[in-house]
Amino acid sequence: MNKKLVSPSLKRGLTFGIVMIIFVLIDLDVMVATMLSKLFGANVIRGSIPDVGFMVLFLILFGMFVGWSTSSDDAKPTTKLFQALVAGLTLGVVLGLFDLILNQLIVTGTDVRKYLAALAPESIRLFLFDQGAISPLLHLGLFTVASLLGSLMKILLKSESASRFFKGVKSGYQGLQAKAQANTPNWVKKYGKFLLFLLIGLLAFFLPRIWGSYNNYVVGLVGLYVILGIGLNIIVGLSGQLMLGFAAFFAMGAYSVALLNAPLPHGIMLGFWPSLLIGILMAVVAAVLLGLPVMGMRGDYLAIVTLGFGEIIRILLKSDLLTSFTGGPRGIQDIRGPTLFGQSFSSDIDYTYIILVVMVLSIFIYKRLERSRTGRAWLAVKEDTKVAQATGVNIMTNKLLALCLGAAFAGLAGGIFAARNQFTGPNDHQLMVSMNILSILIVGGVNSIPGIILGAFTLKGLPEILREIENYRLLVFGGLLVVMMISRPEGLWPATRPNIEKDEGNKLKENGAPGEGGLND
Amino acid sequence: MTDPIIQVKNVSKIFGGLTAVNQVDIEVPEKHIYSIIGPNGAGKTTLFNCISGFYFPEKGEVLFYGDPIQGLSTNLVAWLGISRTYQNIRLFSNLTAVENILIGLHPNLKTNWFEAIIHTKRFQKEESGSVKEALRLLDYVGLKGYGDFLAKNLPYGLQRRLEIGRALANQPKLLLLDEPTAGMNMNETAEATHFIKRLRDELGITIILIEHDMKVVMGISDRISVLDYGTKIAEGNAAEIQANPRVIEAYLGPGGAALSEKYKKQRLSNAKSN
Amino acid sequence: MENEIRPPRRYKRSKLPKLVRWIFGLIVLSYFFWRLYTVIIVQNEYTPDIWVRLLISGLVIGGVYSLIAIGYTLVYGILRMINFAHGEVMMIGTFAGYFVFEATNAIRFTSSTGEITSLSNAQPFLSILLAFIVGMTVAATSGFLLEKIAYRPLRKAPRLIPLISAIGASIFLQNLAQLLFSPLVRDYKNPDLIARGQGWAITVAGARLTIPYTGVLTFSLSIILMFALYTMVRKSKLGKSMRAVAADKSTAALMGIDVNGVISQTFIISGMLAGAAGVMWGLHNGLVYYYVGFLPGIKAFTSAVLGGIGNIPGAMLGGMLLGMIESIGPTALGISYQLKDVLAFVILIIILIFRPSGILGEVLSEEKV
Repeated sequence: MNKKLVSPSLKRGLTFGIVMIIFVLIDLDVMVATMLSKLFGANVIRGSIPDVGFMVLFLILFGMFVGWSTSSDDAKPTTKLFQALVAGLTLGVVLGLFDLILNQLIVTGTDVRKYLAALAPESIRLFLFDQGAISPLLHLGLFTVASLLGSLMKILLKSESASRFFKGVKSGYQGLQAKAQANTPNWVKKYGKFLLFLLIGLLAFFLPRIWGSYNNYVVGLVGLYVILGIGLNIIVGLSGQLMLGFAAFFAMGAYSVALLNAPLPHGIMLGFWPSLLIGILMAVVAAVLLGLPVMGMRGDYLAIVTLGFGEIIRILLKSDLLTSFTGGPRGIQDIRGPTLFGQSFSSDIDYTYIILVVMVLSIFIYKRLERSRTGRAWLAVKEDTKVAQATGVNIMTNKLLALCLGAAFAGLAGGIFAARNQFTGPNDHQLMVSMNILSILIVGGVNSIPGIILGAFTLKGLPEILREIENYRLLVFGGLLVVMMISRPEGLWPATRPNIEKDEGNKLKENGAPGEGGLND
Repeated sequence: MTDPIIQVKNVSKIFGGLTAVNQVDIEVPEKHIYSIIGPNGAGKTTLFNCISGFYFPEKGEVLFYGDPIQGLSTNLVAWLGISRTYQNIRLFSNLTAVENILIGLHPNLKTNWFEAIIHTKRFQKEESGSVKEALRLLDYVGLKGYGDFLAKNLPYGLQRRLEIGRALANQPKLLLLDEPTAGMNMNETAEATHFIKRLRDELGITIILIEHDMKVVMGISDRISVLDYGTKIAEGNAAEIQANPRVIEAYLGPGGAALSEKYKKQRLSNAKSN
Repeated sequence: MENEIRPPRRYKRSKLPKLVRWIFGLIVLSYFFWRLYTVIIVQNEYTPDIWVRLLISGLVIGGVYSLIAIGYTLVYGILRMINFAHGEVMMIGTFAGYFVFEATNAIRFTSSTGEITSLSNAQPFLSILLAFIVGMTVAATSGFLLEKIAYRPLRKAPRLIPLISAIGASIFLQNLAQLLFSPLVRDYKNPDLIARGQGWAITVAGARLTIPYTGVLTFSLSIILMFALYTMVRKSKLGKSMRAVAADKSTAALMGIDVNGVISQTFIISGMLAGAAGVMWGLHNGLVYYYVGFLPGIKAFTSAVLGGIGNIPGAMLGGMLLGMIESIGPTALGISYQLKDVLAFVILIIILIFRPSGILGEVLSEEKV
């Protein structure tokens, strides 16, 4: 047979084999099987082993995916099947060999958990379908058949008639959509947006009261990260300064609220709102102090210096030097929450309201900044600093302004965060926090508000909701970042540039005569 | 003759041991088109950079309306009314054409970030005014209908025009054009030449031009100076430059003048014998 | 259009940022000198042997930092990207060495003198060599795969994209190691010959102190490796191609250099150095866990920037300097040892303020317009 045909499929089978082996070694296979059983309505208790059928189902799905992805798009059906066959066989052989080792472990009763922590005997048995020595053959057969199935599925779904079918569905849908558009009464067109906002507002008001404190916690977390994301976006996305120590500004806000508003160590009890304001101010001051000396540095140097700044702040908060002032590694407890009109306003529902309102306000401010002279100057600086300056943009002030405004958002989010948790400590402000915020931006889409919301939900909300995968969530998070960068570097919801010319044209059409005026009169 | 808008007096720029620009004097009267020509590496772009503030000349002065501007940072130079384009186009490539021009308008606008957030009357007025102005300029440089294209997606010729549009947004008194017709075909070049003339005639902008295309240079320049190895070797109008033996030598190498003389005679005698 | 003339403002290029920087730097520097003066001259409570001990530990840590920093610098020089996952490559090397020592320690037999001994004690040189070879190979392989999977598809992307991919890879590898080997902190089983805490006893100014064997091994080996690498980059064909690719990828490709191959080899070499550093780290500090590569990685990157990123002697110098600062600095300045990282970063910021391209980095000429 053609070598060009065989060797990529072989490689693919081998790669997926190694991936599956890693799955087994970290017990991810059992986790997926458990999730599948949950999907089918089984009652899952933590640490329980699912039915063997779900493991079979997972392996079949895996094999089908291998077959699907191995069959090249432009090949003939027979070639596709052949490719899938080779890949499936390779996968089966690799795992078969691995099974032999696993089976040996079971037979001899060796416990390898001292070194490979996740490899429990029950998990191994489940993976081997509890069939002992014949499980390699079972796996070989299963993967080959599943891979062929996957390939077959691709052939069927991507065939001419199938694509014609999908096209038909699509055009039908579009036709319906156009019809619906045409039939929409005028008042919907006019007030639709307003009604939609009203609906969202009502939902935002009532849902936190209904859906319980856990959901409030998750929504609050996502909201805080949206605020942080917007702040960092002003620095990284708009003005193009790579900032890796954003958590330092977050810490400024959190510690300001904590120190001014907790019984220990100072007992100042200034109240939430004024201390939040001071927190924002402190973050801005920190930004100026950091910004003035380092503003002129090139991108990567700026990155490492800001990273260093973040670490300095965190270590100082933790150190003995400031223990009497900041509570040291133990942090600050019992931070008092906000009040509104003399009444306590610090239940989980209230915090959700506060965060949602602040989030909407942040989005509003961001939008207005972006569509202004300042926002355009930032974008110009990001695109080409020297040319921006030669076009009349003052680089220093604009960069510093971006840093300060971004820091202000971080201080704001930090203050709310500390009060909501009633606690803050050095570990809330680790380097990983800065990295997470940056990742939210990149995964969601730089300069795109829906992107940032989506990113915050994907990276902070989903892992909270899918508690079962708790152990694996950082692994998945890391892998997701790499995959996203390779397959969709512009983000989940990429930003678009405004169509100023078109909008202006529409405006003129609506207003009738073209308006006179402009700077040159 | 009006006062010179810009005077370059005895300017030298030295990189390490290399003198890129050597004691160059240039004087450009208002509403003139002034060309700088010379072989590659003669220091033309370096001179531009000295005028527009990218470089700080080691020696000499640059006077704009009689006031020294050397050493001012580029944004102040732009604010004073000197705009420029670049040899290899440098647009803000991920922004739309209109946005590029809006950024060019930056020095003329006054509102700050806070006004932008609370949308003051002044901000709204300025913003809508600047959008109108940007669209007007877009139309002026012939990019109507391309306003919402990303700059990097525009065809080459239009990118050149957009760059000029961005430079014009600043309402410059002096426009520095660095090889505006590079990479263009004959039709485009003719169009661009006409356009540059229009800029001077309609807007009253003084233009300094770096150009390799002699047809363009000889066609529209009021005055031309020639740089070679950083030194100004000749200045004059088109006819004077064409006749200058040092210029010919700079382009054709030593002995070039004699050679060109010889060919001229040959052509003449050929014409006679025919 | 009215051609009114705006008057030029009569001021030169704004000196304010520069001034602020210098004032900031001078304040910190004078604070340093004041502290140094107080601790060394006024208080004078440390005997010379303490300084020698600190110097030794600084050199050892510095050697490890230098090796990792070279990896950052090589990759940065060629791809202009921060290989954020480089610390994790080192962690993988540390784990590989750990398993080699576990294995050699588990193989037991009766020696000629009749006592039961393990392979690692009977053949210490062999087992150390084996640990380094395995550690370097595994780390080099992971560096190679890292580049191939996470960075190669992003060769032409804007700079932020590979950085995020690198951050993702770093998180992924850390957590993979945690899931595979559990979050436990494990002990490195050194052969008895170079047991931790053992060393040559010397006398300095009347006080006894030991030079640890592991420290000597670490320092000398890192010097040898650095020297080998430097010679390789200067002299060998691969070194020349690496420099060519660093200067200009497309021109290098036109000259017939296999750019992808050279980049892969660069990652392999930096992975090998990180792997060696990892095994040394394990032997000297004795601890291995999934997070072990993170801090040394950040520190090594800091040293690379300190010395001038993209510059190999700079990375060596920066690593040594950072090791020294960390070990001697807190004592010399009379501040808490907890603040050694703060000190390292403050020194970095100061140096970048006064020499924006690091100590040995070339001052980049202004980008040609």
